[in-house]
Amino acid sequence: MIKIAQLSCGTEYSAVQSEIEAAATAVGAKMVYPDVDMEKINSAVDRFGFNPVSPQLKLMIARAMALADKSYEADAVFISSCFRCAEAALVRTELRKFIQNNTRMPVVTYSFTERTKSGQLLTRMEALVTIVERKELLARERQVGLTAGLDSGSSTTKAVIMRDNVIIGKSWTPTADIFSSAETVLQEALAQAGVTMGQLEAIGTTGYGRFTLGKKFKAKLVQEELTTNSKGAVWLADRQKGEATIIDIGGMDNKAITVRDGIPDNFTMGGICAGASGRFLELTAKRLKVEITELGAMADRGDHTKVPMNSYCSIFGIQDLVTSLAAGHTVEDVAAAACHSVAEQIYEQQLQEIEVRKPIIQVGGTSLISGLVTAMEHTLGERPIVPPHSQYIGAVGGALLSSGFIEGH
Amino acid sequence: MKVLIVPPNSLILFDLVERFGHEPLSVMAVLQEKIESKEIESPPINVTVDDVKKGLKYAAIEVPSGIRGRLAIYGPLVDIAEAAIIMEDAPFMFGCVGCARTNEMMKLLIRKRKIPLLELDYPANEDEAKAMVAQIKTFLEGLVK
Amino acid sequence: MTLDHETRYIVLAPDCTMTPDQLVRTIHTIDADVIVKETCFGAVISGKTEAVRKVLTEVRKMDPTRIYSKVRGFPVGDQRRCRAHHGSRPGFAQLEKEWKDLTMVEKGLQCLERGEKVPPIKKKGKMPVKDLKTVCEEACP
Repeated sequence: MIKIAQLSCGTEYSAVQSEIEAAATAVGAKMVYPDVDMEKINSAVDRFGFNPVSPQLKLMIARAMALADKSYEADAVFISSCFRCAEAALVRTELRKFIQNNTRMPVVTYSFTERTKSGQLLTRMEALVTIVERKELLARERQVGLTAGLDSGSSTTKAVIMRDNVIIGKSWTPTADIFSSAETVLQEALAQAGVTMGQLEAIGTTGYGRFTLGKKFKAKLVQEELTTNSKGAVWLADRQKGEATIIDIGGMDNKAITVRDGIPDNFTMGGICAGASGRFLELTAKRLKVEITELGAMADRGDHTKVPMNSYCSIFGIQDLVTSLAAGHTVEDVAAAACHSVAEQIYEQQLQEIEVRKPIIQVGGTSLISGLVTAMEHTLGERPIVPPHSQYIGAVGGALLSSGFIEGH
Repeated sequence: MKVLIVPPNSLILFDLVERFGHEPLSVMAVLQEKIESKEIESPPINVTVDDVKKGLKYAAIEVPSGIRGRLAIYGPLVDIAEAAIIMEDAPFMFGCVGCARTNEMMKLLIRKRKIPLLELDYPANEDEAKAMVAQIKTFLEGLVK
Repeated sequence: MTLDHETRYIVLAPDCTMTPDQLVRTIHTIDADVIVKETCFGAVISGKTEAVRKVLTEVRKMDPTRIYSKVRGFPVGDQRRCRAHHGSRPGFAQLEKEWKDLTMVEKGLQCLERGEKVPPIKKKGKMPVKDLKTVCEEACP
């Protein structure tokens, strides 16, 4: 049983403790609370150097020390506190850094409200378990045999066929019905590769529809998108060794993942509103009457500083956009501002929860919008690497990792 | 009389109030009812989402959920309290008393009720402890319905 | 409270001569229908409120200034509160600290038993700025 150490404040008084435990149980893990001697709490706070007023935060610090000192054994760490609590937010972030600097355990942070449900925590918990349980599989750097990866995302479904570490077929389509979308892309990728379904030695599924598709296609690997996408990203970017940060701005949620040798050690996922997602850029393209594929180049020709736009909400964001157009701004400037609005929100919401490590690899369908990559460059001070086939990270990760299940390898 | 104790889960205060003939109002008894509630299929740990919403009576929506959830437990206790003892600077406030902001808010709610109130500091040594016990005894003996 | 049953911690002060094991055995000899579990501080008992209070009254008589009690929210042996199962919950650290400080409370109760007058404690304030200024001027003439 994987033990996830919980360092938290407020969970039991926000009606989320049972949700946290339900999510852990669902992925075969259990939450544990590192035992600390009462006498050691003050000395732990002194050692840490931040003395919070709230005693529960002092206890969180002492518990983190117990993990670092190995006086309490656990496999992964979940650090959580109430959304909007300033003191806890400071402690949460500093403890995350402390755990990363002093242990090799994967860590995830989360700020909750009373509306947080186990479903929202499931992928995070699943990723923690995958990192612990599948360490050897995740260390795999080469794909072997003939395998397929299926990534059933909220916006698009992708398929990739790989043979002996080379992509030989790929296809994507907007996600409609999960089954038919997957069937379509898989058949197209197979045709492109010139192989048949029967020849495939293993299939790996990831994304929102992973369980459903995993069952239908008898997948050997069914794995959440945090670890699978990371693997695909470092393989595609040829950055399998060392550290990196992966930024995946998705259709519905965003991921920021730090990796060491291709294995995540910290990640955040989510986004307050569609205003910070690929969906907002789709809406922008529609309003500007251009294809989403043209939006990036259009944004690159514009000047984002001319248009004020930074909304946490896609509805208000579009309102800003309409107002700016009415005020006579060019579509190029508006497109650039929309990309910057998304980039700034990724920076404010996601990248504050992780330690950004170079190089930065930007992936997912939105990484094809060059204006968004430019906006990320302006925000981060360094142009992210966009690997070839960057929209196929999940499918590539699925094909690569599932090859670990082929008998004889 | 019903005497609310702060910290509301203190063993020392609970024991002394009971020892000197009054009914201590503590969070433990409230939580027991919630935990054992038969109507809830999967017993929540400490509070439910509805409790957190009830906390809106004491703090607005921009206040973190953990504060509202805690106040949803403390608030009704403050409402029925006939007297209170507040012990400041207790060095052991974890769990339900782990949030400093909530604790301040609870003290304000008590002070606003204008009920008999004893405010003292957590003792730092034996002499202070002796004075604390004596003060609590005198306060509790002076409480008459 | 509306429930007709309760769970209680019975806590033995650190210098209490009775051990948790002796406490539990004593509770078993009292004619009351309660569930008892030994803990590192004493015991947890659970049952109808009347029975629990009866046990408490009897047990207290054995060492009044060194035996303490408070109610507990979770029932005896509840997995969600089990230290062995998950590690300790926050309340455990609190109980640990209060248990250690019971020796101080005990001295206070003994004083009262002896009818001693205890002088009230004066609150320590900060030094007035004027006085600090004088000290500074004296130190650095």
